Amino acid sequence: MVLLSFINPLSDEGKQIVRENGSLNSVNEDNGDLIYAVERSSGQLDDIDNIPTNLIDLSLKRLECYVKKTYSPKEFDLNQYKYLFDKKIAKFDVISFYILAQAIAIKFGPASRESKEFVESQGFLIERRLFNLSNRESEEIIQRTIDSLDEVKWTHLSDLFSSKKLNLQELVLNNGNIILSEDEFMEIFGNKIKNRDPATVFKAVIQKETTELIVKSVIKQNIDDYIKEVSKNSSIIDPHPSLINIADKISKILKVGTNIEIKASTLEQDAFPPCIKNTISGVGSGNRNDAIVLLLTSFLSYARLYPSIFKNKDFRKVSDLDADLKITINEILPLIYDAANRCNPPLFEDDPQEKLNITAKLGFGVYEIPEMKHEGESKWYTPMSCDKIKIHLSSLCKPDATCKKDNVNNPLSYYNRKQWELKKRANSNNSNNSNNSNNSNNPAKNNSR
Amino acid sequence: MFEPATKAERKQYYTEEWDIKKLPEFINENIHNREFGFDHLGRGPNDRHRVFKNSNELKKFLRIRFPFAAYCSVAFYNKPRRRGDWLKSELIFDVDAKDIPIRSCDCDGVCEICLDEARQIVSNILDTLKDDLGLTDIHVIYSGRGYHIRILDKNVMKLNSEVRSQILKYVVGAEVPKSKYSSIESKERNYYAQEVYKKDRAPGYDKMDHYLIPFGYPAVFTKRVKYAITNMNGTEKMEEVNPKLMKDVLKYREMVQKDEWGLFKNKIGPIRYRNLVEGISKLNMGLVDAKVSIDLKRILRMPTSLHSKVSMRCMEVKNIETFDPLKEAVPKFVSERKGY
Repeated sequence: MVLLSFINPLSDEGKQIVRENGSLNSVNEDNGDLIYAVERSSGQLDDIDNIPTNLIDLSLKRLECYVKKTYSPKEFDLNQYKYLFDKKIAKFDVISFYILAQAIAIKFGPASRESKEFVESQGFLIERRLFNLSNRESEEIIQRTIDSLDEVKWTHLSDLFSSKKLNLQELVLNNGNIILSEDEFMEIFGNKIKNRDPATVFKAVIQKETTELIVKSVIKQNIDDYIKEVSKNSSIIDPHPSLINIADKISKILKVGTNIEIKASTLEQDAFPPCIKNTISGVGSGNRNDAIVLLLTSFLSYARLYPSIFKNKDFRKVSDLDADLKITINEILPLIYDAANRCNPPLFEDDPQEKLNITAKLGFGVYEIPEMKHEGESKWYTPMSCDKIKIHLSSLCKPDATCKKDNVNNPLSYYNRKQWELKKRANSNNSNNSNNSNNSNNPAKNNSR
Repeated sequence: MFEPATKAERKQYYTEEWDIKKLPEFINENIHNREFGFDHLGRGPNDRHRVFKNSNELKKFLRIRFPFAAYCSVAFYNKPRRRGDWLKSELIFDVDAKDIPIRSCDCDGVCEICLDEARQIVSNILDTLKDDLGLTDIHVIYSGRGYHIRILDKNVMKLNSEVRSQILKYVVGAEVPKSKYSSIESKERNYYAQEVYKKDRAPGYDKMDHYLIPFGYPAVFTKRVKYAITNMNGTEKMEEVNPKLMKDVLKYREMVQKDEWGLFKNKIGPIRYRNLVEGISKLNMGLVDAKVSIDLKRILRMPTSLHSKVSMRCMEVKNIETFDPLKEAVPKFVSERKGY
């Protein structure tokens, strides 16, 4: 049977393993059992230099694998890390999890990037480990994990709904709780199901993939809470030197992830989606405020400064990309104000307050113009999704062919795609033109027509 | 009844009848964190961003200004005057009788019939909010021409618009539930090159229409479709539903009323049935004003205030099943009018 802590290191079983085997005094010492387990992992590359020899090594490899896979996918070779997904290392893995969690909590704190990346890395491991198990094993361990968790309420998963990874309609809800276990399902709904086998209905409706996603999310939240708790207690207890030492190495591994190149580029109005073009040409009363303040402000600022936000999923401040705010003040705001003045009636005439709200949506608090000293008083809003525009600003949403393409779900993804299409078209026109001019200069070819 | 209130009647209402003690506690509590807005001319709220330190200040203002309409924000702010430093917002469902997509009356504005239908819709939404979503601290307000469901459950007040939009779609039945349960189109699982996710199938249950699943969202959707089919009068416009289909729906709707869904679908035909439920799902989106639900900074008519356009009192409803606005929400001055 697979150890529960392989998926949920915070389970009682995981805590028990750490209590029995997790002495911090020996985590730096070579561990023969660990080396043996790693070398015997199926599919593991025989690469002596890359194999962890002690628990600290294993902790760092856990993080390194996730960072490489996320930030350097082309260079990432899963075969170097096969042992991380092999159930044979579960007992060592749970100790390495606690080493990382405690080091990060003590040294960096719960709100740090290190903490966020660590939680994400655990999500990645859970997903990949479940994938590697047989159907029977993964079902069984998911069921045991569900049993080990407290009630799961749908309100705990707001991040999944926000990011559209999960849809409320996919869940089976009862009094706010998500029904995940078959026993609970049978108890609540068994009698209501007529002419069908309730157990089979459960299997069909409560999708394994959705359940895994929920379990993963709840475990990640519990890890978040654990880091907060350790961080709070670290002021009372002196941390072990091993934990302090490993923190620097963690930082070094995670530095790789911060070197993403972000390119700001000039605005290409031909690539604007219909909803943005309609907003720029002026909006009537009723939709004016939201179209200018919510839709246009976020779209223009991100399209100009950080069009790859959704791809990178790495949130920045305006000043990270426009250090002296010149682009924001000289290019972006004039475009927004022009569109506001084209509204009918002009937006600022009867609602001058909205100028402050535009500044706020750029992340500079409620002030007339953006100033560095106020940055961070509010959030730099990302563009609203197409779904939201359809509900909120339906009169501006006039979908064209690009809108209907896969992966176009907000005005910014439209803009990026359209830019790529326009570039491709321009390149093919250029090559056609050069072919034509080559042909017209080639009498042999002309004669052969 | 339903005539606009004169300035004198507004003054009479706020000086003689209106009572600060009737202001619901959920408004009174933390009143200083809400933004207030007023309409003094009957053309929409033109006096916004007002803040009151306590209910007595509000009382003075209303007695002196007796506005055409009074509103307060669904949001709580640290700096309500600037709508700055947002703390949280109530989750709102706004059911306006005049905008209900399926009504049995033909009135231009509101009447007794559509007001009662709005009440029924509110009652259905409340069931889903409590039974499925497990929400508490829910207040129903009669707005003068419909109802506001105001939810102050701490679990939802910090939710963003995206999540609110999903809740809205769930409770009104705005999407046809999927009917295929044999394979999942994975949105997320594209991490590992061309690997396909392994999963068990549930043999024999590849397809299940919404009415065969008596729990979760399919059950909510079934209730909403049943309500729509039961209350249709045949004049509703749906892109997917032609006059012939509408005629057949009305002809066989008794089967739906008896929950004989399979028979009804056979009579209609599977493709036309799909068109019908698609059409109803789109109509359902109009059961509530979606913009109000997803707007975190909305101002809403203040309970106890006067809806001067129709001379009705905006008030908290204690029991939606027995509430009759024509008995309980009519201000005294209406009965004093000539010819009433």
